[in-house]
Amino acid sequence: MLMISPRMASGMQEKQYTPSLLSFFIYNPTFGPREGEEEKKILFYHPSDVEKNEKIRNVGLCEAIVQFTRTFCPTKPAKSLHTQKNRQFFFEPEDNFWIVMVVRNPMVEKPNKDGKPPTIEYQEDEILDTVYGAVVRQCYSMYKLFNGTFGRAMEAGGVDLLTQKLEKFFYRYLQTLHLQSCDLLDVFGGISFFPLDKMTYLKIQSFVNRVEESLSLIKYTAFLYNDQLIWSGLEQDDMRILYKYLTTSLFPRHSEPELAGRDSPLRPEVAGNLLHYGRFLTGPTNLKDPEAKFRFPKIFVSAEDGYEELHLIVYKAMSAAACFMISASVELTRDFCEQLDALVGPQLTLLASDICEQFTINRRISGPEKEPQFKFIYFNHMNLAEKSTIHMRKTASVCLTSVHPDLMKILGDINCDFARVDEDEEIIVKAMTDYWVVGKKSDQRELYVILNQKNANLIEVNEEVKRLCATQFNNIFFLD
Amino acid sequence: MDVEGQRPMVSWENSTLAPVDRLRCERADSPTPGLVEGTEPGAVHQSAMFVHTQSFEDLTAEAEEAQREAELDQTDECTQELKALVVGEKTIEEQHNNSDISSESRAKEEDVSSEAWRSHRKHVFVLSEAGKPIYTRYGTEEALSSTMGVMMALVSFVEAEKNIIRSIQADGCKVVFLTKSPLVLVGVSRTCQSDKELLRELQYIYYQIVSLLTLTQLNHIFQHKQNYDLRRLLAGSEYLTDNLLLRLDRDPGLLLSAVTCLPLASSARDVVSSSLQTAKAKNLVFSILLAGDRLVTLVRKKDQYLHHIDLHLVFNLVGSSSSFREGEGWTPICLPKFNTAGFFHAHISYLEPASELCLILVSTDREDFFNMSDCKQRFVERLSKRSAYQAMKEALKCPSYSVEQVGIPELRHFLYKSKSSGLYTSPEFPHLYQSDEEQERLMGLYQDLHSHLHHPTRPLRSFYRCSQTENLLAWVTSGFELYLCFSPLGTKALAVSAVNKLLKWIRKEEDRLFILSPLTY
Repeated sequence: MLMISPRMASGMQEKQYTPSLLSFFIYNPTFGPREGEEEKKILFYHPSDVEKNEKIRNVGLCEAIVQFTRTFCPTKPAKSLHTQKNRQFFFEPEDNFWIVMVVRNPMVEKPNKDGKPPTIEYQEDEILDTVYGAVVRQCYSMYKLFNGTFGRAMEAGGVDLLTQKLEKFFYRYLQTLHLQSCDLLDVFGGISFFPLDKMTYLKIQSFVNRVEESLSLIKYTAFLYNDQLIWSGLEQDDMRILYKYLTTSLFPRHSEPELAGRDSPLRPEVAGNLLHYGRFLTGPTNLKDPEAKFRFPKIFVSAEDGYEELHLIVYKAMSAAACFMISASVELTRDFCEQLDALVGPQLTLLASDICEQFTINRRISGPEKEPQFKFIYFNHMNLAEKSTIHMRKTASVCLTSVHPDLMKILGDINCDFARVDEDEEIIVKAMTDYWVVGKKSDQRELYVILNQKNANLIEVNEEVKRLCATQFNNIFFLD
Repeated sequence: MDVEGQRPMVSWENSTLAPVDRLRCERADSPTPGLVEGTEPGAVHQSAMFVHTQSFEDLTAEAEEAQREAELDQTDECTQELKALVVGEKTIEEQHNNSDISSESRAKEEDVSSEAWRSHRKHVFVLSEAGKPIYTRYGTEEALSSTMGVMMALVSFVEAEKNIIRSIQADGCKVVFLTKSPLVLVGVSRTCQSDKELLRELQYIYYQIVSLLTLTQLNHIFQHKQNYDLRRLLAGSEYLTDNLLLRLDRDPGLLLSAVTCLPLASSARDVVSSSLQTAKAKNLVFSILLAGDRLVTLVRKKDQYLHHIDLHLVFNLVGSSSSFREGEGWTPICLPKFNTAGFFHAHISYLEPASELCLILVSTDREDFFNMSDCKQRFVERLSKRSAYQAMKEALKCPSYSVEQVGIPELRHFLYKSKSSGLYTSPEFPHLYQSDEEQERLMGLYQDLHSHLHHPTRPLRSFYRCSQTENLLAWVTSGFELYLCFSPLGTKALAVSAVNKLLKWIRKEEDRLFILSPLTY
């Protein structure tokens, strides 16, 4: 992605390039151990049009780095390689399978006079390892969600099947990586929970129970409102990646029709049924269509004996979305879908308007929102709950933040510091732009606050954060 | 203070990313009002002694060096250098023979495949571009030749892609590469130090080697014979590098790019300085009087500045060897920050046999031994007649001060650096940090604060960390850098008031703690 820096106005055309994906490959060193067979190690390589010898060379370097690092720490593998032009991230998700992502450092292109080629300056200290390391792990988790482990593909159809699956999945997935807008939230990979009063929460729970009872095929259910989670029957780690898929990929793709207004041609036919607004986001778009296919995406979640394969049905009414997961061994029919639509559609529509109403009332009670003097990110490692007032709506393509990228990186730096020790800690820094940044870590919880009080001192900043903790987090941070 | 903060400032008051121009005067002065550069406690009254060094940034400034190298290529100094080298070699070996740190005592004979070898906190390797081992901190170079071969292979592989390898990161371990043709330096660290800090340390090691041989000589050797085994020339000098590595772990001066002084009443120091000033000679460039690791005074030729790195290399040379105690030493030394091409010649001697006071007279002339010896004689004669000499000897009895003297509760230790003078002051390590291990841990905390404040792209004004073991505050302005270590009981309010109180105390004591009026010949 190219951004024109503000300095451009001064006459010299200076181009600023954000970090970008240079290559992404997956290899297994045991697949081509002999000389001349190196190509067999490579299971996937993006971009695919790279010349064969170059692919082999780049994989060779990764192998050498990993091997070399073992000289000094046999148990901890190499995680990244920093060079002037790029950073490479290594991840071994399954024995001997290595995923490598190469990210080009951001750079500034400065034009030269007299027709000389422009000077390129690499900004080597801009990329945070923790952020992109998390992106690589997320890539694997997403592959695993839809395909199961690499090992599973190997068992089912050997290297050929695995390479096919990798090709099919990553070809599209890599296009959705937006490396320039990755930040601390990717490190957390948390779930945003919808705040709700007890009554409404119970209503939702009883809805889930009723549906699961009537449609006994359903194994797991998850309930979301406004892209935020309310209820989930899945394991935390499975929900985390499913949540990521729903909120950054599936929901954004389907949001347009709802925004389009009732009479817009974009709006799908409400199937002649005006009793409810329910519709399938996965599977058939129109139940009345005689040609409709009742195929749903399959996902893999952890089970007692490894993993289980499930159909993923995502059904949405207004801002409420319910995910129903059914064992993949069952074939889903038109009958079942109609039954589900008839049962869930009206109830979900009702629930959605209930929640909406409740939400508006709560907001009114808490008073008119005035722009606060601070912004914060909160994350709880125990339940993966995350909350950010820094990020505007996170969509598939961009993650808009309301603060300067440098401040976001300072948050990332503090997070790295916290990760080093297991103890509770607090860090307060003042940036060159005079913003104050406060990080607190206490018992699995992390809170980062950015304060826009340039004339405050350390004591005042501390008081401000104390107030915030008291009002927003019920004083869960005790360390003073 | 106002020179800072020139990065675009951005407000999110209206949730925009547009830069907002602000008047400088609106800028905050917290935690306490700053001071204009050059007026901070410890700032020199006239011109500084050292080349101005903001911080370690200048360690990475290669431009001037490249220029110097270019100039060198034009002059044919080869014969002269070779002669110098012979002298150098001999002297190094002599020192080595007399030195009490013999290479046998080094932990050399380690099994390089053992867990013990692997788990050293910090490894340092130096190799030639042909992959030949030159130095290893632990184990023997012979046993590590294949490992070093791999290191060189990695460097050249990345270089072949028109790229430069910087570091490899693993959990709890990192490998940092520094290519300084014709040498390659590799650091392997299990500490929390940032890449930048580790690179700074490798730079020091590089300069240490250059100071023994000159860069011109190094280049000449490897241009001549790529495969040359440099250990032949450096044999017996490894203890200097070993010692420097120890200093890097423990001496705040190397972290701060600054030097600390022997606390001494300014009246006495001025007398010592002027006695040194009068004991001059034609080719004398620097006269340095040391008390252990502390500077008593430094007199220099007009317009000639000593870089703090060069001074630390001199400190290291003097501190690493006891041979200079046995008489007058005469040794060639290259001061790489001054000039990587040639040798200076240093006359090194102690004022009295059992004294800590060591005089270093740096001359440009190889044949100047007797002139320098005469300078020393004149200096000693002049000084011994003055009461300042007694005052100085008295001061030697308490070369440091305890943090209690400052009178701030919960304050355990601090570092204060005056940027314009390049001098710092710091109390002795308190009881809690007496052991080597604890001292290195505290230094690690300071290094951490330092690298946060001096982040290459996201520098900070202040950094406060509150943990289970200590509370730390670091603050940098255009005039000074301040690092404070409190007990975990210290509050933020205390920290803020401590800064004010400490600055006042340093101001009151600056006559004693700093060299306020450095002299030239």
